[in-house]
Amino acid sequence: MKKILLIEPDKTLSKVTSEYLVSKGMDVMIAEGAQEAVNLADQNEPDLVILEIQLKRHNGIDFIHEFRSYPEWHGIPIVIYSMIPKKEFTFDNNAWMELGVSKYLYKPKVKLNELFNELNEVFSEIKI
Amino acid sequence: MKQLVSSAIVLKRTNFGEADRIIQVITPDQGKMSLMAKGVRKVNSKLAGSIELFSTIDVTYIPGRGSINRLITARLKKHFSNITKDFERTNSGYDFIKIINKVTEDEVDEQWFNLLENAFKYLDSFSIDINLIRIWYYLNIFELTGHTPNLNSDRDGKRYSEEGRYGFDLDAMSFYVDDNGKYMAQHIKVLKLANQFEPTKMTNIKDISNICEILYSLIRDMSRVTLDI
Repeated sequence: MKKILLIEPDKTLSKVTSEYLVSKGMDVMIAEGAQEAVNLADQNEPDLVILEIQLKRHNGIDFIHEFRSYPEWHGIPIVIYSMIPKKEFTFDNNAWMELGVSKYLYKPKVKLNELFNELNEVFSEIKI
Repeated sequence: MKQLVSSAIVLKRTNFGEADRIIQVITPDQGKMSLMAKGVRKVNSKLAGSIELFSTIDVTYIPGRGSINRLITARLKKHFSNITKDFERTNSGYDFIKIINKVTEDEVDEQWFNLLENAFKYLDSFSIDINLIRIWYYLNIFELTGHTPNLNSDRDGKRYSEEGRYGFDLDAMSFYVDDNGKYMAQHIKVLKLANQFEPTKMTNIKDISNICEILYSLIRDMSRVTLDI
């Protein structure tokens, strides 16, 4: 069972998203913020992180930098699933890749079943 | 599929996908629940006008497989429209919703629904002092969560004196004798009344506005210590 760390500050959205992913056979841990996410990952290392970039106290980019500062978590893919569209950032694709972001998904346009497919795609890339 | 009907008050609205919205509501008989309002953000949605904040509504829904139910119809019963005409009342309305959301689990009984509905009713009436409504609301929250302040005797178990001055001990949730204290018998009496009666029955008390201004600051301190809100 794939372990997902879902970082989502909105409780309603985290509930809906986690319920869907659990119904598809994934194991989901939920964190509302960056610090809680680091603590959870420390206790139970995830296979993949889903991140809403707009967090309450921290910037999601800062979270990524902190997460990547732990060598043991370098290989864990991060999928951004956010209300903020990618075009709002000045980063190009290389910059996202350097941060270790496997995909950037815009929440209003990506349904839960599509999110699930995207996650499976990331997992299949890891296998290769 | 079986359709269920309930009265509800909207606590929170979360946009979902391109045109949907998840609304969290509190009901008198089903506790708190989340309802998926499909297509509600489209211009021609029939649901859109009926799921406003500061309203009581009737909802028809189909229970979902998970924790999200599917909203079928929503009918506006009462919109407390005066609340949004005043900045402070609007802010208090949001605070009241936030507090209920914070201190309750999904399983809540009818008292919480009634409390919020009554709070909206009072906020909607400009003739009731806003601080009096806030004090009444917080005292009800304290009672429902088991944090009612001791208003019958002071910290040492003595009856309150008409001439005495008092401070308030937040840890003991009791007043104590303090010659330099800012609370007098009239403040304690108003708290007692607000704990027993509706704000509408207290509007004629002499100097109620000034008394409530002082008491509201105390009530906020109590809520920070007891409920972390």
